[in-house]
Amino acid sequence: MTGTAAPLFAGTSLNARDRKIEWLVRALLGLMTALLILPVVIIMALLVVEGGPVISWEFLTTPPVDGMTAGGILPALVGTVWLVVVALIASVPVGVAAAVYLSEYAPDNWLTRAINLAIINLAGVPSIVHALFGVGAFVLFFRFGTSILAASLTLAVMTLPVVIVSTRESLQAVPRAFREACWNMGATRWQTIRRIVLPNALSGILTGIILEVSRTSGETAPIMFTGAAFFLPFLPQGVLDQTMAMSLHLFVITTQVPDAPEALPFGVALVLISMVLAMNALSIAFRVYVRGRKKW
Amino acid sequence: MRRSMSTLLSILVIACGGGAENSARAVIQNKGSDTLITVAQAWAEAYSAVDAEVAVAVSGGGSGTGISAMINGTVDIANSSRKMTSREMEAARANGNDPVEHLVGHDALAVYVHRDNPVGRLTLDQLARIYGENGTIERWSQLDVQVPGCASDEIVRVSRQNNSGTFAYFREAVLDNEDFKLGSHDMHGSKDVVHLVAQTPCAIGYSGMAYATPEVTMPCVMGTAGDPCVAPSIETALDGSYPISRPLLMYTSGSPAGAVKTYLDWVLGDAGQCIMLELGYTPAMPAECVQ
Repeated sequence: MTGTAAPLFAGTSLNARDRKIEWLVRALLGLMTALLILPVVIIMALLVVEGGPVISWEFLTTPPVDGMTAGGILPALVGTVWLVVVALIASVPVGVAAAVYLSEYAPDNWLTRAINLAIINLAGVPSIVHALFGVGAFVLFFRFGTSILAASLTLAVMTLPVVIVSTRESLQAVPRAFREACWNMGATRWQTIRRIVLPNALSGILTGIILEVSRTSGETAPIMFTGAAFFLPFLPQGVLDQTMAMSLHLFVITTQVPDAPEALPFGVALVLISMVLAMNALSIAFRVYVRGRKKW
Repeated sequence: MRRSMSTLLSILVIACGGGAENSARAVIQNKGSDTLITVAQAWAEAYSAVDAEVAVAVSGGGSGTGISAMINGTVDIANSSRKMTSREMEAARANGNDPVEHLVGHDALAVYVHRDNPVGRLTLDQLARIYGENGTIERWSQLDVQVPGCASDEIVRVSRQNNSGTFAYFREAVLDNEDFKLGSHDMHGSKDVVHLVAQTPCAIGYSGMAYATPEVTMPCVMGTAGDPCVAPSIETALDGSYPISRPLLMYTSGSPAGAVKTYLDWVLGDAGQCIMLELGYTPAMPAECVQ
């Protein structure tokens, strides 16, 4: 623009104003993006500064002692892993299968539209309502009692829409030409799905599962009535045991344990967030690997 | 793709195998009162050293949560800082559970104010007029008190959520079952109440005596204006001279048997009762404790 040649395009007062507005809008949008990152940075910094000193190998590998004011968080850590894994086992197959049906088989009629509407609504149900549903359905009706199974199934119901929606979107992102080419070669729908559509949609499906893991490990309301305990003197041995969980542990040591050291809740929060970030990082690495092998 | 699928599958199999395996250990489900929860947790922690075969799973939520679990038959022991009502008893019996009450201790319900607050004594009537629906006391000056740091002079009322046994007992013992005045800060735990009062010069709150910290003071309480003013303590809760002390209860369905009976006997024995005393609650049984 500022070359030696005469400008091809002489600025008028009119487009000078446009340029100013352009600059303003760009700055404004950039600022909003920065605002978005700010809370994350502040939260992480606060947790590391306040909670960092309590983190140690002992903190991660010993149970709490002295009325939960000292010791570690092992039972809560193990409990959260149990809850997340069992919830994934329950929701991922159902969610992915439902998404495959909705995306690949379902005809576009009122029933399909009604199912889609139901999924969207299920995603909007507050977690405490899921908790009450979990108590009624899994704890009382199916007689699972307050257990990992009941809590994980409640979490699975709650996160099912996330898995379905993200899986369906990633299936639909696979170009239609891929499927048509396959069908033209004489492949059945299922052969097409298994060999072409699913492998190409894998990274998107994983994104949905990552989101589910993050949400599942942080939820408190759905588990506090269905399977999480304030204190347990043992590690869970099976899905019918109760368990401690990181999110509930954080809640109770902040609100109900007198004389808990100030740094303790920050330490628990730091571990919880790091756990989620670590799982996310692992899945992202896998996604990058899968995407690297993508042929389009 | 194929390899990752088979890895996933083997993880599933291991997880399910782990789930099928059943432990021989007996688990006692213990749920309810937030007032009793620190004691219940300390008992469970200590009991794991007494009998490694029995595990006590403790969860909170409030007396109401424990009592509904008793009604639904999902707990072995329900903790409560109030008695079950006759309606709750009937509901439990209709479900085939027969709640039996066990007194495990007492708790003096302390009134908390900010440590700079000079109010040293309160009558039950004054408390009722501060908290009650028809109460007229809105300002500290109405109690002839000037609170440093409280420029507005307004009394900030800190209370509890409505399924709390502490809430129910305060309403019964202080407000004579009148409703609370609207606009109080309803906290979800005893510790929260004390924490808020400690940070708010204008505030008044109530919670179990065991939650006291150096940042708050507990005014003594008079039954009526002429009575002696009694400070909350383990002794005054035990001899009944402190006017707002309540029983701490555990409910079992039917007479306790087996591991539950052994556990309750231990709770009511010296070891359990001394833990209670150590945490600032008043034991139900005279206990010989090593100080």
